[in-house]
Formats: sequence, C-alpha cells, structure tokens
Amino acid sequence: MHKALPTEPEGLAATRAQNRKGSSDPVDVKTTGEPLLPTERKALRRAGHILSFADILWIAQAAIVAALVSAFVPAALTDAPSAFDEPGIMIIVAAAGGFFALAFLRLRLTLRSQKMALKAAQSVKSRLRGKLLDAFSATSPAAHLPASGEIAAHMGEQIDAVGPYLSNFFPQKVRLSIVPLAILIAMGCISWLAALILLMTGPIIPVFMALIGLRAKSASLAQQHELTRMSGMVMDRLRGLETLRLFGAVESSRQEIEAVGTQFRKGTMKVLRIAFLSSTVLELFSALGIAFIAVFVGFSLLGDVSTGIWVGELTFGAGLFLLLLAPEFYAPLRAYAAAYHERSSGLAALESLQGLDQRLCGAAEVTPHSGKGRTTGGQTVSFAGSGLSIEMEDVSVRLGGHPVLEQTCDTIVAGEKVLLVGQSGAGKTTLIDLLLGFHRPESGRVLVGGLDLETLDKDWWRGHVAWLGQAPVLAHGSLRSNLLVARPNASEAEVLAALDLAGARALVARLPRGLDTRIGENGFGLSIGEQRRVALARAALRRDALLILADEPTAGLDRETADLVIDGLLSLARDKTLLIATHDEALLARNFRQIKMRSGTTKAPEDISA
Amino acid sequence: MRDRVRTMAAEASSTSSIQGLRTLLFWQMKFHPRAFVAGILISFVPAVAGLALLGVAGWFITATALAGVAAVAMNVFTPSAVIRGLALARTGGRYGERLITHDATFRFLTDLRCRIFSAQAQSAGDGRVWRSAGLLGRLTSDIAALDGVYLRLAVPTVIAVFVGLGVAVFSFWQTPVVALGPFLALISTATVATVLVRRRRTKFARRQEVAQEALRVRTVDLVAGRRDLAVYGGLAVRADAILQADKRLQEAEAVLNGKTATAVAVAGFGAQAAVAFTLGLACWQVAQGLLSLPMATAVLLLVLGLPDVLNGVASGYARIGTISRAANRAVAGTARAAKSAALMKDPKRPAVRAPSPQGTPVLAFRHVTFRYPGAERAVLADVSLDVQPGEWLCIVGPSGCGKTTVSALASGLLSADDGEVLLNGSPVDLIAEGALRSRITVIGQRPALFHDTIAANLRIANPDASEADLWQALQAASLDERIARQDTGLETILGEGGLGLSGGEQRRLGLARAYLTRPDLFILDEMTEGLDHDTAQLVLQRFAAFRGDAAVLMIAHKSVDIDWAHRTFDLSQL
Repeated sequence: MHKALPTEPEGLAATRAQNRKGSSDPVDVKTTGEPLLPTERKALRRAGHILSFADILWIAQAAIVAALVSAFVPAALTDAPSAFDEPGIMIIVAAAGGFFALAFLRLRLTLRSQKMALKAAQSVKSRLRGKLLDAFSATSPAAHLPASGEIAAHMGEQIDAVGPYLSNFFPQKVRLSIVPLAILIAMGCISWLAALILLMTGPIIPVFMALIGLRAKSASLAQQHELTRMSGMVMDRLRGLETLRLFGAVESSRQEIEAVGTQFRKGTMKVLRIAFLSSTVLELFSALGIAFIAVFVGFSLLGDVSTGIWVGELTFGAGLFLLLLAPEFYAPLRAYAAAYHERSSGLAALESLQGLDQRLCGAAEVTPHSGKGRTTGGQTVSFAGSGLSIEMEDVSVRLGGHPVLEQTCDTIVAGEKVLLVGQSGAGKTTLIDLLLGFHRPESGRVLVGGLDLETLDKDWWRGHVAWLGQAPVLAHGSLRSNLLVARPNASEAEVLAALDLAGARALVARLPRGLDTRIGENGFGLSIGEQRRVALARAALRRDALLILADEPTAGLDRETADLVIDGLLSLARDKTLLIATHDEALLARNFRQIKMRSGTTKAPEDISA
Repeated sequence: MRDRVRTMAAEASSTSSIQGLRTLLFWQMKFHPRAFVAGILISFVPAVAGLALLGVAGWFITATALAGVAAVAMNVFTPSAVIRGLALARTGGRYGERLITHDATFRFLTDLRCRIFSAQAQSAGDGRVWRSAGLLGRLTSDIAALDGVYLRLAVPTVIAVFVGLGVAVFSFWQTPVVALGPFLALISTATVATVLVRRRRTKFARRQEVAQEALRVRTVDLVAGRRDLAVYGGLAVRADAILQADKRLQEAEAVLNGKTATAVAVAGFGAQAAVAFTLGLACWQVAQGLLSLPMATAVLLLVLGLPDVLNGVASGYARIGTISRAANRAVAGTARAAKSAALMKDPKRPAVRAPSPQGTPVLAFRHVTFRYPGAERAVLADVSLDVQPGEWLCIVGPSGCGKTTVSALASGLLSADDGEVLLNGSPVDLIAEGALRSRITVIGQRPALFHDTIAANLRIANPDASEADLWQALQAASLDERIARQDTGLETILGEGGLGLSGGEQRRLGLARAYLTRPDLFILDEMTEGLDHDTAQLVLQRFAAFRGDAAVLMIAHKSVDIDWAHRTFDLSQL
C-alpha cells in the first residue's frame, strides 16, 4: 500500500535536483529536454505578447485621464465655477467612454491571452503523459523499474506542476521583457529624469532580489526537505495508526507530530522571513519610485526644480501622466516575482521527468530488444495438439551486464510436467520470463513447438500461455473483470468452473457481492493466498493455453492453501506442458522431472521471511 | 471496499456547502484570537498606506501645479515627507502582514494536523475506513491547501470591504456623487465574489479530484501489474485508460482555470470601469465647482489604486470550490474525534479491575452478535466464550467465519451490536482507552513499523522501557545479534515500512515490541502465518516462555499453533 507514496529518498532526490539546478544557474526550458513543440512555444509567446499589449494600452488610458484632468486647470485657477461647457460635458463623457472602451479591450485581450496560455500548457501536459506512457511501454515487463507509486507521482503531480510554469510564468516572462521598457520609453519622451528614476529603481530590484533570493534558496531547499520529511512522517504514522492505537501510543505520536509540525513552522517562518524580504525590496523600490516621481513632478510644477525634462517646463498634464504610469512600470516585476516559485517547481518537475525517462530507457537497455511492449509483428501459427514442446539450444541471457543463463540446453516434450529447482538467483524466473518473451536470448534460441520463439508475434504467443506469478497483481475493479481479462467472452459457467478448479469458489461466495466485489489497491480485501487462487482461476480461464508457467506458486502459503493451489495447477495442466519454478517440498516429492538450475550468483535464502 | 471509500468521501463532501470553511475560520479564531485579529489589523497598514500614497501624490502634484501657475507659496515639505513616509509604511506593513498572517496560519494548521490525527486514531482498525495511500495523500494535501482559508479568503475579504468602504466614505465626504465611483468598484468585486460562491462548481473540483485519483490508481495498476497485463492482455487498454483520465482531468481543469482567469479579469475590468466612472463624475463635479481639482485627482488615484486591494478577493474566491472541499473533508475528519473524546472523558468509566483469582474470566463474550455495516448477514451471531486467567484458547474455523472479527471485538477496535464483551468482568466498551491498551497486547501477521529508530519503534509499546529492557525484548525475539551488528545499534533508523530489515526480521521486531508489554491478555492473530513449521515452532516456544501467566486468545488454523492451546473453540460449530 505504501508503494504509492513518495518515499523519503524520492524527496531527497527532488531536493538534489533543485540543488543541481542551483549550481548550473539559468536553466531554461531549452536545456531541460525541450518539452515544448515550436507551435506551443509560439502560442505561449503570443500569449505573452497579447498580455503585454493589453498593458501597453494603459499608456493611452493614462493619457486620456491626464489630458482630461489638466483641462480643468485654467478653470480651477480662476477659482470660479466655470461655465458648464468649458471643456464641455461631451468631452467628459467621451474621455470616460474612451477610457472604458480601452478597459474593455484590455479585458478581452487578457482573457484571450490566458486561455491561449492555458490551452498550450494543457497540450504540453497531455503530450508529456503520452511520452511517459510510450517510454514505459517500450520497456520489458521484466525490467526493473522504479516503484509504481513513484511513476504514478510523475504521471500525476509532477506533470501537473509543469502547468502553471508554462501557463502563467512563461507569459509573465515575456511581459517583463516588454512592458517596463514600453513604459520607460513613454515616460522618457517627457522627462529623462523620471525615466532615470525608474531605471535606477527598476533594474536594481532584480539585483537585490537575487542577493536575498540566494540566501533564501539554500534555506528553502532545506525546508523543502523538511516538508517532505514531515508529510512522510505523518503519513507513516497514519498508516500504522491501528498499531499505535493497540499499543496505546496515539497520544505520544500526536505530541510527536505536533513537535515536528512546530519545528517545521519555525523553519518555514525562518525561510519566509528571508523570502518575504525579497518581495519587500520590490515593494520598497516600487513605493519609493512612485514617491520620487510624485515629489519630482510636484517640485517641477512649483518651479523649484527646473531640470529633468527635455524642453520647456513640465505641464500638469504631463506630470499626472508620469505619475499614472509609474505603478505600471513595477506591476510586471511584481507579477514575475509572484510567479517565480512556479518556475522553480516546474523546472524541477521537468528535470525529474527527464530523469525518469532516462531510467526507463536504461531499463529498456538492460533487456535488449525485449518485446516492444504493445508492438506486434512476427508470425502467428496454429499449433496442433494440446501440449507444446520446448527446446532450448545453448541459450544465454544477460541481465544488467551479468550472465544469468549460460548456454542452457534442454528439451521439454509436449505435455511434460517439469520442475525448475535451484537457489534464489539461479535464473528460474529469468527462464520463465524468457519463455514469456520478456527477455531475448543473447545467443542460442528457444523453439516452441518447433518454431523459433523470436519469430513469433509476442502478444499472440503470450495469449497461448497461462502464467501464475509469485505475486500476482489484481487491478482495481471487480473480481469478475480481473478474471475476464484472460478470456473476455467467457460464460458465467466457465468462470465458475475456473473458480472451482482454483479452489476459489467458497472464497468468492463469502465476499459481500460475490464476483462483483471490487478489489482495491494491491488486491486489498484478499489475503496473499486468496489473491493467488484468484490468479489461478484467471489462468484456468485460458483453456486453450498450450503452456503453463508457474513461478513459486506456493511460496509464503500455508500447507492447506498451497495444496489447493498445487491441485488446481495440476488439474489445469492435465494435458498441457507445465513448468513450475519451486522450492516447495511437497512439489519436489512428486514424481516430476527436475531441471536443476546452476546459480550464477549465489544469494543466501532468507531465513524466516515469507 | 470501494463503497466504504465512497461513503467516507460522500460523508465529507457530498454537500458542496461552505460550512467547513466557516467552521475552520471559527476554530482558527478560537485557537489564537489575538494572532487572528492582529493579522487582519496589520493587513490594513500596507493597504491603506499604498492607497494613501497614490492619493496624496495625486493631490500634491495638482496642488503644486495650481500653486506654481499662480506663483503662490506652498508648504511642500510636509506633503513630500508624508509621501515618503507612506512609501516606507507600505513596505514595512507588507512585510509585517505577511509574517504575522503566515505564522498564525501555520500555527493553526499544525494544530489541525494533530486534531485530524487524533480523530483518525479513534476509529483506527474498526474496518470502517479504508486508508488507501490516495486517501492519506489527499488528507495531507488538504491540510496544505487550507492555508488559503485565512490567507486567501478571510483576510482579503475583510481588507477589501473596509478599505473599499473607507475610500467610498472619503469620496462621499468630498462630494457625495463621486462616491459612486469607488462604490461601483466595491460592488463589482462583491458581485464577482458572490457569483463565485454561488456557482462554486464543486462539480468540477470533484471531477478534478476523481480524475487525479484515477490517473494515480491506473498508473499504479499499469506499472505494478505490467507482467500480468502483458500475459493476460490489456496493456494497451490500460495505457489508453490513463490517457482517458488525463483527458477528463484536462477538461475539469480547463473549466476551473478558465473560471479563475475570467473572475480575475472581470474583477479587474470592474475596477477599471469604476475608474472611468469616477473620472467622469469627478470632472463633472469640478466643472460644477463642487469639488476642488486636487481632491478630484486624489479621489481618482485612490480609485485607481483600489484593484491592489480588491484583486486578492477575486483570485481567492475563484479557488473556493477546491478549498471548501478540502475544508469539509478536514472538518469531517476531526468530527469523529470530538465524539469519541467526549466518550473517553466520561468519568463514569470504571478503571479496569486486576484479574481476580476467584474465577472471573480474563475475557468473556456474552451472546455477542456483530454485523459489518452494509453486510447482509451477521459475521458473529450469539457467540459466547470465556478465557480464564492463564488459559490459552485457540479460535478455529474456516476462512471467513469471523475469527478476525472476534479479535477486533476483544481488543475493542469494534463494538458488538448485541451482547457484551467483558475484560476482567468490565465491558470493554466502557474501559478507558489507556487502561484497555495496557491490559491487552495484539500480535498480528505483519507488524506496522515506522520510519524512525529501532528504539523508538520498540518504545511505542512502552515509552518508559530502559535500554536494557529493549535489548532483553530483542533477545527474546532473537533479533539482538542482528541489531548489535549495526554501528548505530538501537538508534539505527528504519526506512519507510521497515525497509532495511528482511521480512522475517521485521516480524521479529514486531514480536520484540510486544515483549515490552505485560498485559493480562495476549491476542495472537495468525501470528505464525507464512512461517515454515520449524520457525513457527520456535516463535511459539519463545512466546510461551515469555507470556508468564497472561491469558492467550489465539486465532490460527495450523496444527503447529493449535497444539499449543489448552482448548479450542470452533466458530463454525455455532
């Protein structure tokens, strides 16, 4: 059950990933495996451009406001209620209307930009999921892969984290590169000093933020690790809650969780004190920038300051225009800073996805050429008779660079029952995987029914094999759907017959909804022995199987259940070829031929573990 | 089992109400009233200072323009000092606001996490809640999402309402008509917020959650079951199912994200419309001589600055569907605790009596009937049995006849529907949890081990155990040599789920833990399941030597176990 959780090492790996990124400074999308197609990149840029254009419209709006308000200065000077038509009510309405129309245009543009960016981000996410699935499908089912929970976390949260990075941060980046410059130019046209004030405060902000950010970064990495640790600990305790309750240790665990939570809060606040400093610097400079502009404009209008503009004197309209533009110079900076954490998590997710991709590719290399998952090809034939002969001619298999099978030769005649014996690590499972087409021999060949296994269509071939694994995995869903995968059009009678054969009929009868009972994660609701009997029933549904492979079918079972499983297997294999890898004394005592596997790498068998 | 998950999910969030939000806010206020109020109060500082900065600046440049043209002397130093002061106040206020509101929130969330943990503990093991990895993950991520209740909803709302009204009142004081401008800004934000609350579309938030869970579960199925799928077919089908889940996730997210984007943009537009409105009204009032030009500029700039205060509301309320679902679940997760805690504090609960020699059985079932919720028939019907002091009783019977239910009833994890379960003569249901736990020790098949040191894992059973006690227990479980080989000994940290120890060693550590207790009754629930005959015999021998005069209720079906019992009780014979 705990497989599905992000484990401690994974959290550490994520932290390390961030650390690495910290050292090799500006990691952009380009260096991280190019997740964007040119069209998506273009769409995101366009979204940024539209957003910028909407912002730039503010310059026109500010001009309208400044022009209208300044038109009242002469009237205000005479200090007498002016004639109503002095600037004219029509002009007021027209100006306000123009301002409103521009605001509406900005609304439409902003919405369009956001929808565009969201759509592009979604298409990237879907594509990343497809890519991950493809990489997974390309690996052999026998390959050693990361835990299912880890891959699920990548499929879910990690890819989700890429979304905000693309849909929000990316357009903000484009906006940052355009809008402040446009505002600067607009202000610079009127006053070089005002532009200088912005130029002094604006670009300094990133420098200060970077200085503070560097300190915050190391602290926040530690904190990220701390968060993973805390969540992991709470999950860990929640999972073992029944044990804690039975030992009366709930209260002490609660105190422990409280202590860890308090420690985490203190740590987080320490990070935030620094992190908020960087946004405070931004705040300070933007507030001071506005204040300086206001003071400069005020003193210029009074005539106390006579420098800072290109020609003549600063008019009230121009001054107001400068004051209205100043906050918009800082707005993109603030939005960029607010979205910055999306960049960090998005890039970290991309990097870890790339790592997973490499591991999957690496796993594919370990088992070279192994049946390309879903791909089909090769011949399909109809075998005569019920059993199938297997001939291995000098077969060698290497896994991860180590030879596991070396020049193995053997002939199993059709309908023969054979036991594979040998210590753990001797290659029993590898041989079974080889017969399933999960591995490809490095040299030599395997003939089934006289045909080279390599030339057969893998999916078709597996369709003629019934396999009972050591730890059969049942999928979420009803028991019936789990059985029917082996034979989708099986009748109710056939299903019941298969259950009978596996000694699982009584087991199903006592489930609350019989065959329609849903099983949860890792076969939840069924014990290991029950899961194995259900798996045996599943194998039994494959009546036209020619070869039956069983990998330690009785390991970890008590004698009664083990005997049930053995009886079921044997009656299933009555006229078929049967190959069982086993340590089971009861099986070894039967009069079957035994193939003794020599151990390439000897591993001490586990003492009392299941 | 899925039904149980559904029931729990339904119980927590079938109602799309915002009751959970209200409850959480109330709790946070009660938890630390001073921090709660202080956070809101200090949030006014940057909001008011920021607006005042713009307003004063607007008034200042207009006044200087008029004074400059008229060549009138004017005190410029006070206003310019005020402007700079406001700039600093806005900056400092923002910093203080963030620190105080975040600290208050994190304090509360720490407490909430503990509340939920205690609540879950009350019902642990009663079989009613299926704790899947997904559900637990949801619970932890819920808590993280709840920082939004105070930071994104409560504080911005209060600030927006009061600051918005403040600007409106200030404008009204200048000339009543102009107040319509800021009022429009406030109304438009309130409308957006109301629409967001009314149509919070928890439907899509729910779909998003369902799709996320489907994505996770299907990926786990695909990866963990890849061998089975490759042999029995369905790899391609499963992969397509994942893409289907992705598609549904994208559809739900498109709606949710689109809604957020629209809400924020519309609120922004409302504020801009208010500026246009204010601009027209202010100029009209100036033309009529009802408003001075400097004040008109000030009001205009105040309205222009309002979005800074109001925008937080729209973006916060856009997430209300997600946050309220998390809040409802968190509240539902703690509600159970309150009930059980009240029960546990009941002073009428008797302290458990020590085993009395004069024939009171250690454990007694009196006509016990139990039916799992939703099951058609009772697992146990009218069961009566006794375990005398020092006796070793074995419950036998085929799978599914309710052996494990007997164990859960005896240990108080479940309550009988009918009849009584007595421990030393007192009803188990009425014994205080702490007292009950010190009287009964349950040894199951697979011990839950924690990601902590070996010592800490052992001390769960007995916090006061000395180091010598720990070694003694380890020795009794024949694990002492293995642990002594570790450089860090008892302080060695176990990986998640007991990683680093083999399956057999984990079970022995579980036994060692049980050996740190001195109960009146041991319950062995298939303790030797999956062990080979010789190992099982060894484990049982050690246990028999250790148990002293404690009574034993054993659930088993192998002769190696049954032979140790004084007496068997066949559940299927009833």
